[in-house]
Amino acid sequence: MKCIKITVNGVVQGVGFRPFVYRIAHKYGLKGYVKNLGDAGVEIVVEGEEKYIKNFEEDLKLRAPPLARVQEINEEILPLRGFEKFIIEESSKSYGGGESIIPPDVAICEDCLRELFTPTDRRYMYPFIVCTNCGPRFSIIESLPYDRENTSMDEFPMCDECRREYENPLDRRYHAEPICCNKCGPQYILLDKDNNPISGDPLKETAHLIDKGYIVAIKGIGGFHIACDARNGDSVRELRRRIGRREQPFAIMAKDMETVEKFAIVEEEEKGEMESYRRPITLLQKKSPFPLPESLAPGLHTIGVMLPYTGLHHILFHYSKSDVYVMTSANYPDFPMVKDNDRLGEIRDAVDYILLHNRRIVNRVDDSVVRFVDGKRAVIRRSRGFVPLPIGRTFKYDGIAMGAELMNSFSVVKKGNIYPSQYIGNTSKLEVMDFFQDALKRFRSLLSVEDIDLVIIDSHPLYNTSKLGSELDSEILKVQHHFAHIASIMAEKNIPEIIGIAIDAVGYGLDGKTWGGEIIEISNSGVRRLEHIEYYPLPGGDLASYYPIRSLIGLLSQVYELGEIEEILRERCPDAIKTLKYGSRELHMILSQIEKGINVAYTSSTGRFLDAIAVLLNIAYERTYEGEPAMKLESAAINGRDLRFEIEWEGGIKVHQLLSHIIESKERRRNLAYTAHVSLARALAQAAIYHAQEKGIKKIGASGGVAYNEIIMREMRRIIESEGFEFISTEEVPRGDNGISVGQAYIGGLYINGQVRRDEIG
Amino acid sequence: MKLDRKIRMMDGAGGEAMEKLIKEIILQNLTLKSAGKISLDALDDGASISFEKNELVFTIDGHTVKPIFFPGGDIGRLAVSGTVNDLAVMGAKPLALAISLIIEDGFDSEELERIIKSIDTTAREVPVPIITGDTKVVDEKIGIFVISAGIGEAERLISDAGTQIGDFVLINGGIGEHGFAIMSKREGLEFKTTLISDVSPIWNIVEEVANAVGWENIHAMKDPTRGGISEALNEMALKAKVGIEIIEEYVPIKPAVQAAGEMLGISPFIMANEGKVVMLIAKGYEEDALRAMKRCKNGKDAAIIGRVTDAYKGRVVLKTRIGGRRFLERPMGDPVPRVC
Repeated sequence: MKCIKITVNGVVQGVGFRPFVYRIAHKYGLKGYVKNLGDAGVEIVVEGEEKYIKNFEEDLKLRAPPLARVQEINEEILPLRGFEKFIIEESSKSYGGGESIIPPDVAICEDCLRELFTPTDRRYMYPFIVCTNCGPRFSIIESLPYDRENTSMDEFPMCDECRREYENPLDRRYHAEPICCNKCGPQYILLDKDNNPISGDPLKETAHLIDKGYIVAIKGIGGFHIACDARNGDSVRELRRRIGRREQPFAIMAKDMETVEKFAIVEEEEKGEMESYRRPITLLQKKSPFPLPESLAPGLHTIGVMLPYTGLHHILFHYSKSDVYVMTSANYPDFPMVKDNDRLGEIRDAVDYILLHNRRIVNRVDDSVVRFVDGKRAVIRRSRGFVPLPIGRTFKYDGIAMGAELMNSFSVVKKGNIYPSQYIGNTSKLEVMDFFQDALKRFRSLLSVEDIDLVIIDSHPLYNTSKLGSELDSEILKVQHHFAHIASIMAEKNIPEIIGIAIDAVGYGLDGKTWGGEIIEISNSGVRRLEHIEYYPLPGGDLASYYPIRSLIGLLSQVYELGEIEEILRERCPDAIKTLKYGSRELHMILSQIEKGINVAYTSSTGRFLDAIAVLLNIAYERTYEGEPAMKLESAAINGRDLRFEIEWEGGIKVHQLLSHIIESKERRRNLAYTAHVSLARALAQAAIYHAQEKGIKKIGASGGVAYNEIIMREMRRIIESEGFEFISTEEVPRGDNGISVGQAYIGGLYINGQVRRDEIG
Repeated sequence: MKLDRKIRMMDGAGGEAMEKLIKEIILQNLTLKSAGKISLDALDDGASISFEKNELVFTIDGHTVKPIFFPGGDIGRLAVSGTVNDLAVMGAKPLALAISLIIEDGFDSEELERIIKSIDTTAREVPVPIITGDTKVVDEKIGIFVISAGIGEAERLISDAGTQIGDFVLINGGIGEHGFAIMSKREGLEFKTTLISDVSPIWNIVEEVANAVGWENIHAMKDPTRGGISEALNEMALKAKVGIEIIEEYVPIKPAVQAAGEMLGISPFIMANEGKVVMLIAKGYEEDALRAMKRCKNGKDAAIIGRVTDAYKGRVVLKTRIGGRRFLERPMGDPVPRVC
């Protein structure tokens, strides 16, 4: 006989771990108990025959429930206690000292879905149906341990039937904390925009209203959606008008995979991701001809699609004639998604009806967005389904990485493990900064990270996140934006040295200039910028982001006399001049700005370069959402041919040379667009290969906002692999600024370990 | 933001770099810095001297503007206005000025005469006598520098740190006019309409408001010169440890300034003014103060542009036209793009 205490860490609460332990303890006739700990770990004490304890431990490691992640098991021998049976004990507030985390929100499982549509089931058509394997988790939790009383389900006392299931170790809802039914759980109501209730079954009525072309706000798991019939071009355009989104693509939700395949091409790996419990929005290639309205994703060859992930979604499609809805997050551009019933006023003017439920959303989680780029998953927005799981690790410390500004997330580092937050958004807005602060507080508490060794901020002097970080009570470390992008690959892939290609829009450089096209080394000899796109002027600074003709003029000024530029523009892209608010007068002003150096930034940005090409080729003249001109340029380049224009890269990557090639060429637009991509990719790849050879580094990685570009990534991989190097990017960490905090966290570890110096990294 | 061994243009451009230079090199190396209630260390627009029962205010300002003649004014008008306004925002009625001229060898005497006449005209507007001066001619290619010092008498001293929660923020007219006028003239930029500097003494406004609401209800004042109203408001928020919320659409901006800002990508909030005063007025007196401002010829476009709050202490929040709120930053010198 023997008695041991086992502490299990990882994702072990809220995933049916205790019932699983209960079952295997019974299987081997062991006595004792299992309980949740206050830091999200699980404590088990078992007493019995030594060989059965051994079998028990094996099962613990190998047969854990699907959502569980067992990361660490600690054992301790105790004196015999003489237990009479095995029980599940009340959770305790005590800490096991390990590192555990509650799971992300999980899409409805097959079992629950079956019950949902079984007329005799007591949860027939009840949208809040859940079990131990599915349903909301992160979005409803207030504090640890993960028990019902610490979630927003606390407000819904269980009925007797639910309680029986909850307490029965053999039931599949045993200790499913959000368990509920139509009798005791949350309810939906449907209101018109003036708050008058609409009679009838709220879900059925909502489906009918959407079919009729109305726009409805729908409260879901992590926030509100705004929904309308995606087949109805009038509804889609009306929605654009109301929320002020002129061009930004809308995400859509399709009834099932069969429906998706009617309008988009779905590769196997895309299918797998879409059907995973994460159910992210996945950018798919549109079918040609595209049978849905062009206004869903104007000018793009892709469309963001997700599958239903809650009982609610399945029920709506069940009642609806439409099998595709627009499901966009409920907010005006750059504001946080609305999640609370009392904040509905913020979007009231955008909708005709509101489908509301009475369960509080504790943690806002947006839908995640992924795209498969060159066959690999690239996460664009990492939120629902992913968060709060950790990604990668660095040297041991506790800290906070604040991220950058747009598309932001932060990361909390605990003992060197990196936990990225949910998608936060554009932190230049105070409304978003408030969300940042709330989310940070919650994350620290859920991870029990109180004292911190280090706060890592972006080098940019004006980012609100940098300022907030500087006010936290800790040592502050600045990390350059693109160093962080590249380091995020190292964190995820666990590699000690890399030659990185940072292809991005803008980030504050060590020299005060605006970086964005960089070849970077991170290795045990330090962090270093090796090569970059030759600086070109951005007249008007940030204005060039919104009016990319400014970037084009800046690049042209590297090749042509200022006097020639107007003529070139008038000949090649006269309509672009018309997009300037003050027309020709403004054009002349821009030329004067460059000539006299008035409010001109200097940049090595890849994103601004692609924007400029989009203008020159008359593909896009304005940026109404992040990445718009460059994304449309990529769409216009599909099926193009390589005209093999060359760019010199020694002593500065001379991207401006491409402009004269394009201006002198009479080729079709598609081929020129394609060539701009591959010529750039070749120059970057060659520069990276040269330095990788010099340094004897075998792995070349790419990250940054442009690393979502299929054509550029494919071409770089082809060249880099043909030279015998490995080409990598991230598949978990967002490649854009949503992933910056992970790279910052990683470099924080290098700094703590004495591997990098302050002055070389920020 | 670290200063290297050389002084750079940025260190004199207002903003954080300049503040650092002043604190680290100048204030640290001076010992005797106080003669009254407000000393050099306060880094206010001027300082005060306790004299018998009164508080005298003393200030000095060097003027190096290029071009020396510009739409709406010249270096002479600027020198008088600058010094008078520094006195005025401390609540001091200007008593007398001293003017020092440093002139380049070869400078045109007719131009000099124009400048002196302009000094006279402006001084008579206030009115304030010029009672002493100094003149130097130098080899260096400087054109002309005009340094003006002034002394005034305050019934009740007003510091730029006196802002209180609940106060209203007032300004006597459109922002950014001087900065853009100088830039367009200097760089030969052609805007749709000519930009005219607002350079003007504002003692009349201060006096009119004080008569209307009483000195005790003017909690703080500042003339938003270098760094524009952004710098002025940030300094006031920092010194008083309060938050200031500005409503963008209430801030008067002339169409020509708006257009110049939009074409160059430069916010009028960071451009210099030379005939403006930002006043922080006690709650309940803001409408009276506004009416008083509007009675003045250089206050026709006056407006209430914001409110002092206890949120975001030490920061200025701008409620933008397109919706949403962001921090109004202190100017940085060169542009630092941040939009992906």
